[in-house]
Amino acid sequence: MSNRLLSMSALAVAACLTTFGAAQAATNIEMFFPVPVDGQLARDMGTLVKKFNDTHPDIVVTPVFTGSYDDTLIKTNAATKAGKPPAAVIMSANFLTDLVIEGQIQPFDDLIKASGKTDDEFMGQFFKALHPNAVINGNVYGVPFQNSTPLLYYNKEQFKEAGLDPEHPPKTWQELIVAAQKLTKRDGERVTRWGITMPSSYDYCGWLLEALTMSNGGRWFNEDYGGEVYYNAPSTLGAVTFWSDLANKFKVHPTGEQKAPGVSTAFLAGQTAMMVLSTGSLTHVRKNAKFPFGVAFVPSNVRNAVPIGGASLVQPKGLDAEKRKAGWTLITWLTAPEQSGWWSRATGYFAPNKGAYALPDMKEFLAKNPEAKIALEQLEYAKPWFATYKTLAVRKAIEDQMQAVLSGKVEPKQAVETAQKNADEIMRPYVERTALKLPAMN
Amino acid sequence: MSRRRFDLDDLWPRFGRVAVIAAAVLWTVPFIWMIVSAFRPSDQGAAAMASLIPDYRPTLDNFREAWADANFPLYYLNTTIMVAGILAVQIVTMSLAAYAFARVKFPGRTVFFYLFLAQLMLVPIALLVPNLATVARLGLYDTLLGVMAPYFATAFGTFLMRQAFRTIPTELEEAAVLDGARWWHLIRYIYLPLSKPALIAFAIVSVSAHWNEFLWPLMVINSPDNRPLTVGLAMFTMGAEGAQAWGVNAAGTFLVIAPLLICFALFQRRFINSFVTSGLK
Repeated sequence: MSNRLLSMSALAVAACLTTFGAAQAATNIEMFFPVPVDGQLARDMGTLVKKFNDTHPDIVVTPVFTGSYDDTLIKTNAATKAGKPPAAVIMSANFLTDLVIEGQIQPFDDLIKASGKTDDEFMGQFFKALHPNAVINGNVYGVPFQNSTPLLYYNKEQFKEAGLDPEHPPKTWQELIVAAQKLTKRDGERVTRWGITMPSSYDYCGWLLEALTMSNGGRWFNEDYGGEVYYNAPSTLGAVTFWSDLANKFKVHPTGEQKAPGVSTAFLAGQTAMMVLSTGSLTHVRKNAKFPFGVAFVPSNVRNAVPIGGASLVQPKGLDAEKRKAGWTLITWLTAPEQSGWWSRATGYFAPNKGAYALPDMKEFLAKNPEAKIALEQLEYAKPWFATYKTLAVRKAIEDQMQAVLSGKVEPKQAVETAQKNADEIMRPYVERTALKLPAMN
Repeated sequence: MSRRRFDLDDLWPRFGRVAVIAAAVLWTVPFIWMIVSAFRPSDQGAAAMASLIPDYRPTLDNFREAWADANFPLYYLNTTIMVAGILAVQIVTMSLAAYAFARVKFPGRTVFFYLFLAQLMLVPIALLVPNLATVARLGLYDTLLGVMAPYFATAFGTFLMRQAFRTIPTELEEAAVLDGARWWHLIRYIYLPLSKPALIAFAIVSVSAHWNEFLWPLMVINSPDNRPLTVGLAMFTMGAEGAQAWGVNAAGTFLVIAPLLICFALFQRRFINSFVTSGLK
């Protein structure tokens, strides 16, 4: 027993030594990244970082896989508080506001200035819709890396079969319901094919409800101030009711919570004729669909509008100057046109760097895959992604209610009221120390 | 009268057996689903994904892809070092603590014991940041030892062993003391051998808990070389925005749990035997 213990601790000590021993010649930095779609992409990320390491002999980057977007946030927090901040993190773009409020990430302005550019010149490379989630209080905190919008995916074969024109997918909520009714197939009481399915698991639920609210004319949240959301507003109530009607009234959408992976699986299996999913799933759908499919803008009621999604590169506080600079080199390299375009083709996310679309590789790709262009066109109508103080909890406040509505447990009117009350409660500490902190006279 | 009683006596065990079998069937469904989908060819598409009945020529493609996605041999080694290391240290610390709480008389013994037990009430996630800060200060960040360290003392194990030690008659200890045994002899030759069932029960709980643990290793480990199985597996089971390859997921999950399953199958009889032969002869 004691022998085994001894060899075990010897092994562990040896493991520590090798980890420390390697850190001399070049600057060693770590980059935290969540996995966007599947294992293939984790390997693609490895390829990308290897290319960086090969072309930058003075920097050694270790790509550290950090789970989901939420896990990545937890790990970054924990590592930073433990005094081991990574030099770059691919962070869900809507966490940035909260991270700035909590003082956990630092702006890039000095590094941008040192490279001889102004903030506007630097951000000018990226699509305008991405700026509000990256530039906060006039400082650049994030560099857009992989971005998305929600898209309507539809099965062209099933459109034809139902007597719908596969080249003219529904544009309005009205048309969506009509199409979904024609596409829904029933076998007695049992539905064998749904007209439309939208994922309502955490994260997706809030994002899509925001998309519906925005296309219903709404704003969803105050993009200039992190302490306000508009859950109890007519535009939000309309969106919640519409989603609820699809499921509970028209019965063309399954009831209950729908998990995102299950939705894409159902679409690929022909069990749902339409779905709303991220552009980030485009490559996966293209590779696996055994039928011709189309993509279109998210149908609208008042106007065309969707929130952006995806992730930006950020730097936590507490890095020494050398690591910070090395991290910045990595960040600018990853977001340059060539890498941006390559990653876009590998994933389906659109390339945030406009320059990527001027490169011949990208032009050829778009000519071959015209559906990739739709996401780009929709970008013109894109708005910022929901970001407030304690984004995650505030988002869950309405997601829990929406899930209850989809299960038929709560009425839409009551749902938005409860969600508003809970969200206000969560944001209260911030509101009290900002908007409600008034000058006192005596 | 007696006839009636006989019927009831006969009926209850049968009823129980049916209930147990029903529960067992329910529990095995995800497991069967995993095995069936792990061997399903990917050209069957997602349509067949939900089916529990294999309706295809089995393929090893999913395993091949899962194997290529992650460095499994290294992850197996890391996880094995981790769970074995944790268990080895735990056995030493918990038997010493349990002996103190069960047999050594000192003021405040009960209070200390309850304080110790209070640890069980803490949600592990609340300790994430403070533990990581400690691990980093000790220079154990990104090492397997750093993953193991917080588990070296175990409240649950101490509780279990204390209860087991207390059932052992003090006469045995007194007899041994008369023969000149010191306290460490008592633990080594009397208490531990007689508490084997509790030890084995604890080992099963400890090994399977740490084998399956995800969040804490994810926090501590950065280098791909130090990844345990769960973190390696998550690389291809956690798509952030939707799409998933079910067959590869199932194959990867199968690879991760296989060693535990094989272990249990091999030692099942010994596990059960040692539970049965507990107590004094």
